[in-house]
Amino acid sequence: MISTFHGLETMRRALSTQQAALYTTGHNIANANTPGYSRQRVNFTQTEAFPNPAFNKPGIPGQLGTGVKAGEIQRVRDSFLDLQFRGQNAKVGYWSTKYGALERMEDVMNELDNGNAKVINQFWQALEDVSANPEDAGARAVLQQRGVALAEAFNHTYESIETIQRDYRDQIGVENSRVNSLLNQINELNKQIASVEVHGLLPNDLYDKRDLLVDELSHYMNIEVERVPSGGNTKEMAEGRYTIHLLDNNGQRLNDIVLLDGSTFEYNQVTVTDADGGQLDGPVTEIIIGGTAIAFENFTSTGSLKAMIEAYGYMEGGEVKGIYNDMMRNLDTMIAVFVEEFNNVHSSGWSLSEIHAGEKANGGAGYNFFEFSDGHGGGVQGSAKYLKVSAEVMSSTDNIAAAREVLDGNGNPIAYAGDGSNALNLAEVKDAQLNYGGQTASLDSFYQGIIGRMAVNVSEANSMTNNYQSLANSINERRLAVSSVSLDEELANMIQFQHAYNAAARNLTAVDEMLDTIINGMGRVGR
Amino acid sequence: MRVTQSMISTSTLRHLNTSMSQLKLYQDQLSTGKKITRPSQDPVVAMNGMRYRTQLVEVQQFKRNLGEAYNWMDSADSALNDTTGALQRLRELTVQASNDTYEEGQRENIAEEVRQLKEHLESLANTRSNNKYIFNGTNTTNKPVNLENDTFSTNSHPVELELLKGVKIPVNVNPQNVFSEQMFNDIQQLENMLRDENTTAEELSAMLDTLDGHINNTVNERAALGARVNRVEMIDQRLQDQEVLATRIMSDNEDADLAEVITQLLTQENVHRAALASSSRIIQPSLLDFLR
Repeated sequence: MISTFHGLETMRRALSTQQAALYTTGHNIANANTPGYSRQRVNFTQTEAFPNPAFNKPGIPGQLGTGVKAGEIQRVRDSFLDLQFRGQNAKVGYWSTKYGALERMEDVMNELDNGNAKVINQFWQALEDVSANPEDAGARAVLQQRGVALAEAFNHTYESIETIQRDYRDQIGVENSRVNSLLNQINELNKQIASVEVHGLLPNDLYDKRDLLVDELSHYMNIEVERVPSGGNTKEMAEGRYTIHLLDNNGQRLNDIVLLDGSTFEYNQVTVTDADGGQLDGPVTEIIIGGTAIAFENFTSTGSLKAMIEAYGYMEGGEVKGIYNDMMRNLDTMIAVFVEEFNNVHSSGWSLSEIHAGEKANGGAGYNFFEFSDGHGGGVQGSAKYLKVSAEVMSSTDNIAAAREVLDGNGNPIAYAGDGSNALNLAEVKDAQLNYGGQTASLDSFYQGIIGRMAVNVSEANSMTNNYQSLANSINERRLAVSSVSLDEELANMIQFQHAYNAAARNLTAVDEMLDTIINGMGRVGR
Repeated sequence: MRVTQSMISTSTLRHLNTSMSQLKLYQDQLSTGKKITRPSQDPVVAMNGMRYRTQLVEVQQFKRNLGEAYNWMDSADSALNDTTGALQRLRELTVQASNDTYEEGQRENIAEEVRQLKEHLESLANTRSNNKYIFNGTNTTNKPVNLENDTFSTNSHPVELELLKGVKIPVNVNPQNVFSEQMFNDIQQLENMLRDENTTAEELSAMLDTLDGHINNTVNERAALGARVNRVEMIDQRLQDQEVLATRIMSDNEDADLAEVITQLLTQENVHRAALASSSRIIQPSLLDFLR
């Protein structure tokens, strides 16, 4: 027998289900602009029809529907797109960070109009002027000052690069703690999600939050997410806990390192360390994850953390490498080789003061034009940073050796004030083919090579960033196409649910009137 | 594909940003007049730019050296011209004096003029140009000839200037070929002979050969100098050509084609305008606007 109140019950369910759908629509609209939010939808299912097919079922024609219920509230999301996005995001992180680092170096070494090449050219011009007017104090003063300008230009370039490098060191610290904070937050969310899921509920908003954090983590390093079911009374749709693996640049698991373990609710601290293991002040040697130390050269996980360390400096095979260190080493080599040759030529010549004295200064060794200030260890390293014009040349322009030694009538070495041939020899050092750290080149071409390689690197990093960015964008677009909230759609749904709600209420009224007829109108015949 | 408001606003923003960066590029090109403002925009242009600029600076410097070379050579030429004149005058005087009809007082006068000419030659030997003694080899800060204490310079080192890459040209004349100790001694001897009443006309005539020798030396030296001036002038011509060439190559390499850039800028501006206009129309309406 069908219950008298069957119709009321059916409509009650309809009302509350349409209401739930309306609330979910409201939730979607409210979160239309929330980053990482996936739209949610209520899965409507019919309740079980009456009667159940059983032995003593009532004899009524067919099954009578009993209405609707909200099955579950599901977030609309495609996890395959998440996987793709994170892979690209790691590459975007790597290349954009690398591009940023190179671009800052390019800012310092923008050689188009007013770079170091111009200073070198001016220095060379001053040498030519001294060779044309070797006895002229004015030309010598210009040369002295251009020498100072040259030294200062390279000091400045070097120090600017060092400053950027220091910034990057701090940046690595910030990034490192951000990674740990992300792992910690994801871990906390894992715990919350697990505790909700076991009761058969779907914590959609927590899933969204967790996925957003994982997206961010994928910017720093290449990762893979593995799901661990929560157990208990979980729904089939429950996403479970996340276990996060570290991947190398080929997408293979790196040393089986688990950043975050969903089954044990534990995560491993990531620590970037240098040789002395304490505060980061030298080149990075290894990255410690939990108890496992990975030498940086084996840390192949693409991402902004790797790019940042590559910019800042690291140890590889006992050598210091890195974008900034390489540039500083190039500048050092260039200055060290140039200065050695320049000083050789300079000290072989005769200065005005030596001409007056009739003998070479410093017991025949002559004067150097350039020297290095205190702090320079004597090797190649730091040559560009500590370059300066020698104290002798700074104290008097007469100590600039523009003349070449000749023999007088008696065969004794002597030189003359009007002889600018040594200045010419000095000017020729610019074009001399010297051995710049294993590469035979002139000063100009070596420097052009440095700038050229840098420019090519910047431009490569730029186009790689753009490529991966547009890939990531298009994947993200597809993700948004699935998950993001369309206001038009929500409004249309809202109207749909509203009408269904109204209709259910109207139906309820109809049933009410029917009952009214039965209860209040029946049995009053003749009254 | 499902399209939502957030997708439209993200992609609109991205496209507007791309469009703006294009606008910025053209704006940079217009305001600097250069194709690129950073080496990475076109490493090849940047590299060539550095090389061409160095080349141009070199050519300009060699032109500056050229001015110095002309300075030396023109001063030397005019001094040698005067020297020839003075030596010719000495020859005339010697011819006059060897006439044998001149009496003692007249020879005395001639001797006086010879003395004056000798001092004139000394001052010519000590010609200064640009504060340098040009007839003293590389020893340009000291007087080459001092008759008071009979010192004569022997510095014959060439003063060389670099006028082309690796081409060094001597710009001074070898003073020993003209203002030699021998010349001043010969003139002194001439003066002494004139002051000596026993000097015969034959003896004076014999001096003519000596003087001719010195005149020849001077003329030869001047001719050699002239030949070198010619060479320098050819270098001058070549440097001027090179400067034009270097400037043009540099300009071809890195200067922006203004007509092209302006056209592109206008096109881009239109695109940007259209993007802005369409964005404002797309983002604005939603279903909400049509529901009551």
